[in-house]
Amino acid sequence: MMSALSIVTEDAAGRYVQWGVVQISVTNLVIIGTMILLFVLALVVPFGSGRGSRADRERRK
Amino acid sequence: MTAGAGALSPDDTTDPGNWTSRLRRKLEGLVPPGQALPDRQPVYVASWIYVFGVLTLAALVVVIVSGCILALGGVAWWHVSSLGLYINSVHLWSVELFFGFMVIHLWGKFWMAAWRGKRAMTWITGVVLFGASIGTAFTGYLSQSNFASQWISGQAKDGLNSVGIGAWFNVLNPGQMLLWHVVLLPLAVGAITALHVILVRRHGVVPPFDADPSIEQEA
Amino acid sequence: MTTTPQTTPQAGTKNGTSTDSHDFPTRHYDLVKEFVIALVVILVLSGALAAAFSSPDEKSVTMSSWAKADPNGLITTAAGELAGTTTSATYGPPYNTNGDGQKLGPLSLQKWAGVRLPVDSAALVLGPLSGVSGDSSLTSALSAWKAATPEQQTKWATDYVDAIGAAAADGEKATGAGGDPAKVATGEYGPVPVISASLLTLAQTGGLEGILTSSGNFYGGDQTQSLLLLADGAFLEDQARARNLGGDQWGMMNETGNYPGQPWMWLYTFWYQVAPFATSDNADAQVWGLMMLLTLLLMFVPFIPGLRSIPRLVPIHRLIWRDYYRRADRRST
Repeated sequence: MMSALSIVTEDAAGRYVQWGVVQISVTNLVIIGTMILLFVLALVVPFGSGRGSRADRERRK
Repeated sequence: MTAGAGALSPDDTTDPGNWTSRLRRKLEGLVPPGQALPDRQPVYVASWIYVFGVLTLAALVVVIVSGCILALGGVAWWHVSSLGLYINSVHLWSVELFFGFMVIHLWGKFWMAAWRGKRAMTWITGVVLFGASIGTAFTGYLSQSNFASQWISGQAKDGLNSVGIGAWFNVLNPGQMLLWHVVLLPLAVGAITALHVILVRRHGVVPPFDADPSIEQEA
Repeated sequence: MTTTPQTTPQAGTKNGTSTDSHDFPTRHYDLVKEFVIALVVILVLSGALAAAFSSPDEKSVTMSSWAKADPNGLITTAAGELAGTTTSATYGPPYNTNGDGQKLGPLSLQKWAGVRLPVDSAALVLGPLSGVSGDSSLTSALSAWKAATPEQQTKWATDYVDAIGAAAADGEKATGAGGDPAKVATGEYGPVPVISASLLTLAQTGGLEGILTSSGNFYGGDQTQSLLLLADGAFLEDQARARNLGGDQWGMMNETGNYPGQPWMWLYTFWYQVAPFATSDNADAQVWGLMMLLTLLLMFVPFIPGLRSIPRLVPIHRLIWRDYYRRADRRST
């Protein structure tokens, strides 16, 4: 519930987000969020400029 | 075996007791012929998920190089020099990139069950690398000679002491921690990385589930 | 070029093992170019991030900055070292035998490792002070201390620590003199007040950690004694907690300010936040044991039935290999 999420700002401590027992810095949250985003993008974004669809017939021995 | 005046054949296997030729044959057999640096990959290697291994490797290179530059100036250099501080920042951010890409690489490899087809050691060396990298980063944090090192060492000692490790591995001793960070652990990470990459080249990239190479691919 | 119709895509696999990757048709791929591109990407990214955000470098807490910021705390800590009540004094191995340390289940690993880094907590105070000259009250205090029996020493020091007490905090009332040595009630404390105050004076000169670290060696390089003394006081921890670096603040993941921390430590520090570890006396050993077990599980996933089948059941791989599966499905129909 968003109402339980609070952003704690303290000069010495930097910015943190708190949700129940979980407490994480905004920076770390951004890092983890970016990683998840990159993972999802890597799965869905098509790879290669069409080379992949033109499979070569050469076989390894 | 007489050493004739003629050229030695590189395939000379007439002396099986020769340690040199035994080592040579072992090294040559590590990967199939032409697979150390192949210029082709199986057709199924066609996804962006495959770039995270090489991104991790590239990040490791930048971590090591920036670390070497820091070593040129010594332990306190980055506290007193703006160039030193910049190189330290490159070192920190390349480490963050290193871990970020490594973990995405791990996620990809898990969901591909990349240990299939006799690739268990590739997976195992990868997990060991993850742990060794954490240890290397940890000793790096201890080597900062600032407030963070003071606090981290004080906290970490409790964890390590509680299971007896702290009696030998003294996190309150910056001299010891620095040498682990710049010598012992990078050597271990480097060696296991080399083994990991050789295993990937040896076995090739894992095929898709239930893949059948006898099904011809369309043009 | 006909292929026998495949009813299931499992043909070609022997005994359920994957086919050799080298048997497959191939495509162009430039590994070296890929590596060089990756290297450029990393260089640009880390160079730009470093230029934009730099890296944290909070100055160390020195004995003199501690003395300046919290003189009462330093005096109290000195008295505690003499009383044998500080964290280091009661730690146990590897520093001393004044405690048994933690257990991992039935295993007393901390104790079995033994005292390999011997530290006498009282010596953290008495050692540096013994080199001070020209202070006759200190000299006679040290003589009085040395001449007393261990029981007398402990009584003096413990009574003094209790008399100093602590300020009110966390809903608890103040005790003793509320943490202020200047307001201590009269009592039998022997030479302890003089010795404790002298350590404060020595700390203020800036020489204390140097004496502890070099310990007659000149070069030093091992900060064990200075760090134990510093950590015995409350000041270092107060500074850390103000920066969200405490153990129960997910501190293992964090960094000072807004700098990136260690996100990969999330699971290690998570256990400390929850029962039963949050209140366990053996939390460190238990969490370490649990994390080692989980690491082994991760390492041996290839051999663990159930776990190793999860990727087959959750079809993320169908996204990764969608080109291949599309062509294979087309070909097999």
